[in-house]
Amino acid sequence: MLQFDRSSETLPIMTDDEYAKFCAFFYRQTGIEYHDNKKYYVERRIVDRIAKTNSESFRDYFTMIRFQASGVEMQALVNLMTVNETYFFREDYQFDALVTGILPALVKGKRRGDPIRIWSIPCSSGEEPYSIAINILERWEQADSWDIEIHASDIDSRILAEARAGRFSARSVGRVSSALLSKYFTRKIADEYQICDALRGSIDFSLVNVIDPVQTRPFRNFDIIFCRNLLIYFDDVARRETVEMFYDCLAPAGYICLGHSESMSRMSSIFRPRKFKDVVVYQKPGPGEPLP
Amino acid sequence: MGLVKGPPPAAEAVPLAARDIDALLIDLVAPDSGVRRHAARDLGAHPDAAMALCDRLQAETSSSVRAVLLTSLIRRQSPAVAARLTTFLRSDDTPLRNAAIEALQEMPDAVAPYLQALLVDPDSDIRIFAVNIVATLRHRRAPEWLTVVIRSDAHVNVCAAAVDGLSEVGGPDALADLHALRHRFADNDFMEFAIDTAIRRIGQD
Repeated sequence: MLQFDRSSETLPIMTDDEYAKFCAFFYRQTGIEYHDNKKYYVERRIVDRIAKTNSESFRDYFTMIRFQASGVEMQALVNLMTVNETYFFREDYQFDALVTGILPALVKGKRRGDPIRIWSIPCSSGEEPYSIAINILERWEQADSWDIEIHASDIDSRILAEARAGRFSARSVGRVSSALLSKYFTRKIADEYQICDALRGSIDFSLVNVIDPVQTRPFRNFDIIFCRNLLIYFDDVARRETVEMFYDCLAPAGYICLGHSESMSRMSSIFRPRKFKDVVVYQKPGPGEPLP
Repeated sequence: MGLVKGPPPAAEAVPLAARDIDALLIDLVAPDSGVRRHAARDLGAHPDAAMALCDRLQAETSSSVRAVLLTSLIRRQSPAVAARLTTFLRSDDTPLRNAAIEALQEMPDAVAPYLQALLVDPDSDIRIFAVNIVATLRHRRAPEWLTVVIRSDAHVNVCAAAVDGLSEVGGPDALADLHALRHRFADNDFMEFAIDTAIRRIGQD
C-alpha cells in the first residue's frame, strides 16, 4: 500500500488493486461507476477527505467509510464526488415543499402581522436565497398577505459580495424558465444575468461563521432555515453543535431543510421529522409539545 | 406585504462567551431551558466544568438541554468524563443511559481504558451496553474486543450483540470465532441467522 504524504498531497495514494476495490465498493453503495480513466478525479477527492478526517492513509480512510456506523463520511465523499457549484432551483423539490406544505402549515400558527423569517445558510453566491424569493413570489398565493424576511449568510466574504451583486452565469440560471428570466433578470452580456434590484434589495446578506456561537447568537426567531450540503463537510461534533445552534435560532415549531444526502437522525434527536409529500424536513417542537 | 428586508440580526452588547464560569454554572440550573442550553454550550469551553456538566446531565429533564450537554462533554472528552459517563450505564433512567452510550461512542480514546472492565462486568446488561459502545467506536481494536466477547461470554444476548457489531466492523480475523460460536449456541435460530449475516457481510467486504 502506498503511504499518504499529507504535506505534499502526493498522488497516487492507492494501488491499482485498492482503486479497483474502492470503485467496487463505491458502486455497491451508490450505483456510480468509475473506471481507470477517472482515477485522478477520484484520488483528488479522497486526498481531500483523508486530510479532513485526519486519516493516516488510504487504507485507514477506506476502513472508516466502510465501517463508520453513522455513514456520514461516506455521505461526505459521495457529495464531493457528485456535487459541483450551486445554481438556481437546485434541489427544487424542497422549494415545492416550501410553498405547498411548509409555509401553509407555518402560517396556521402565526398571527397576522407577524413576519415570516427565513434564513439561508450557507448562501454561497446567492442562488438559494434568490430561488426561495422567486419561488415564494411566484407560487405561494399568500405571499402578499405576509411580511416575509429572507436573511442569507455565508462564511466567505468574497462569495457574499457576489451574492449581493446578483450577477449570474448562464449555467447558474440554466434551470430558470425564460418567463422568470425575463421577469427577474436583465441580460447584461452573453453569459451574465443581473437579478433585479427589487430582489437584491429584499434580502439581508451577512457574513457568518456557522460554528461561531458569538456570530450566530443574534440570529433568533427564524421560522425556516435552509442549511443544505454544508454539514456533511463537518466532523461529528461540529455537526451536532451546529444543529443544536439552529435549535436556538428557530422559533418554536420552526423548520430546518437539509440537503438531499443529509439526515438529522444521524446528528441529533431534538427535531421531529416532518414529511411534505416526499420531502422530509425537520421541525423544532412547538410550545408545550413533547420531543420525540 | 410580500418580501421585506428585515433588519440585520443585532450583535449582543456583551458576548455571552465572555461570561465567566461561575455565572455559567448558575445559568446551568436556571428554570429556563434556553438559558441552560446556552450555559451548557458555553461551559464546553471550560475544562474545569466537565464534572458539573456530568452532574447536570444526570439531573436534566429537557431533551434539548441534554443534547447540548452531551455535545459539550464529547467536545471536552477526557478519561475522567468517560469514567463518569460509564457510571450512568447502571442508571434506571433510560434516556440518561442512552445519552451516556451515545456520548461514549463518540470518545474512543477516552473510553477505551474502561471498556475491558465493562465487557466482563457481572451484569449482562452492562456488558450489552459496552458491546453497543464498542460496535460503533472508531477504534482500531474494536473488532478484536468484540471477537473476545463471542469467544468467552456465556450470555446469548451479549454474544448476539457482539455478532451484530462484528457484522459492521469485523474483518476476516473474526471468521473462525464466528464459526466456533455457532457450536456454542447450536439450538438458537436467531444466533444462527446473526452469525450467517455477519459472515456474509464480512465476506462481501
